[in-house]
Amino acid sequence: MSNAEVDVADVNIDVKHLTRVEGHGNIVVNMTDGKVEKVQWQVPEAPRFFEAMVRGRHFDDIQTIVSRICGICSISHSLVATKAVENALGVQVSEQTDMLRLLMHYSEQLQSHVLHVGYLVAPDLFGAPSVVPLVSQAPDAVLTIIRAHRVANQWSELLAGRITHPITLVPDGMSMIPTEAQLRDLAETLKATVPDLLTIVDVVLSVAENLPAFERPTEYVSLKQDDPPTYTFYHGHIASADGHTAPVDEWETVANEYVVGRSTAKWAKWHRDSYAVGALARFNNNAPLISPLGKAVAEKFGLEQGCCNPFMNNVAQLAEAAHVTEAALELIDKLLTKGLRKEKVRVKPRAGKGTAAVEAPRGILFHTYEFDDKGDCVAANLCIPTNQNHANIQKDFEAFVPQFADRGEDALRMGLEMLVRSYDPCISCSTHMLNIEFVK
Amino acid sequence: MKKKTIVLGLGNPLMGDEGIGIKLIEMLQSASGDFPEADFVDAGTGGMSLLHLIAGRAKAVIIDCAYMGAEPGTIKQFTPDEVKTVKQLTHLSLHEVDIIKVIDLARQLGECPEEIIFFGIEPAAVTRQMELSDILTDRLAQYAETIKTQLRRNLCK
Repeated sequence: MSNAEVDVADVNIDVKHLTRVEGHGNIVVNMTDGKVEKVQWQVPEAPRFFEAMVRGRHFDDIQTIVSRICGICSISHSLVATKAVENALGVQVSEQTDMLRLLMHYSEQLQSHVLHVGYLVAPDLFGAPSVVPLVSQAPDAVLTIIRAHRVANQWSELLAGRITHPITLVPDGMSMIPTEAQLRDLAETLKATVPDLLTIVDVVLSVAENLPAFERPTEYVSLKQDDPPTYTFYHGHIASADGHTAPVDEWETVANEYVVGRSTAKWAKWHRDSYAVGALARFNNNAPLISPLGKAVAEKFGLEQGCCNPFMNNVAQLAEAAHVTEAALELIDKLLTKGLRKEKVRVKPRAGKGTAAVEAPRGILFHTYEFDDKGDCVAANLCIPTNQNHANIQKDFEAFVPQFADRGEDALRMGLEMLVRSYDPCISCSTHMLNIEFVK
Repeated sequence: MKKKTIVLGLGNPLMGDEGIGIKLIEMLQSASGDFPEADFVDAGTGGMSLLHLIAGRAKAVIIDCAYMGAEPGTIKQFTPDEVKTVKQLTHLSLHEVDIIKVIDLARQLGECPEEIIFFGIEPAAVTRQMELSDILTDRLAQYAETIKTQLRRNLCK
């Protein structure tokens, strides 16, 4: 906790958001006579009950169940679960399956990044309370964002069978694959989307001065792939910008999860008090490997490898949106050159434990499962990106508050909310029900 | 080719009665042959994706768990204009979405279906379980029939 003296007498920020089912993140700041007394990022939610839900389930049900953990990262959860199950069962998928799944994975990165920057970050930068009022303020920008998001949704639907909660993933393969004609159409659509992505980049660039200039040296953790060197979302080992590495199946020694009183979600730390995952972490660990368009986007904003401004995560997302679009075009070309063929799926249950990692849009995601000889799950351990970021958000808060407190309570509150949003958190994703009153 | 009507089930089957929209859309999908003019889609908790699913349709039917202040198990049919949302959003993450506000956005963009009908089902238990509460389970056939009757009468003429 910081005890820094600042030029503001009293500040009391208490942003509490409790729904009937689950809590969201709360922001609490207390300052008296210019002295910071309390700075807390509170997360009163426990998303880990899904581990109990998969126990006793057969290996081929796992991805379907975990796809419901999150409506935004359902492809990532399904992919990592399928990979972990295959790891446990000793299955090596074909090159075609691997490429089609990666293509599916890229679609979620674009879908999520455009949604985050367009619907959540842009309103902040334009000073609008949400995307709905932004329509009248910047109609062309919103329409462009929606067009790009729609393309990403259609792309996901083609590979995953539907926009959210994939139905095409099965251990050892895909239950349904696109036709070559569909892939050619997708390539044309993606090429046509590049100008829209660049428009979104320019729109954000026009208000980028509203991204706070705040830096805090941070350990950034993501996947890294050396063979072949790739800006990876899907393969490779765990790496930190501090130069440390670990194999994926040792993720528990990286996350070092621990419990803190203010949060029912577990927190994580590796070599420092906390670490960060997400687009900025991937960029910091893989920047030289980003596609030419991704590099051009990063350069427009002055984003360079080693950046430790958490608000630049939004910029890294834009660079990655460009990157995955280019990478997908290359992948489609490769798939079409090789030609698509139907492949048989052969999986037999066996006792074993398997682990996998993928980069969800908001950071590295780990799943581990253990099965008995009938193929029923006996244990599961899932570690989501946002849990890995919670401790880092707290550390950012502690550095941010003394630095920005002299701007007044409202600006400080706004800055802290923007800071949380910049991490693109997955705080409460399991329920979306209506809550209404009748007006007639 | 998009059909003129889309019937959407929303919700999460891992959260007890929050999954009622998904259970009902599965039941309706098995009867989709009776409604050739309608697409039946399990939209899960896709949130903003709803915007794209309803775009360009003439009619949308949305089935969802809803806190309406009614007795648990109650099914109510209403339009977006008959209700106001009291859902509080933190705007801290993408993972909370108010469907009523998504419809507002669709209207502002000029791509909202002319007719939207909600079927809201008041939950008895929104909790971490894969089963519906007994109250809702006992009424599943009634809910499906209520929705099918409405589809026959009005939406798929």
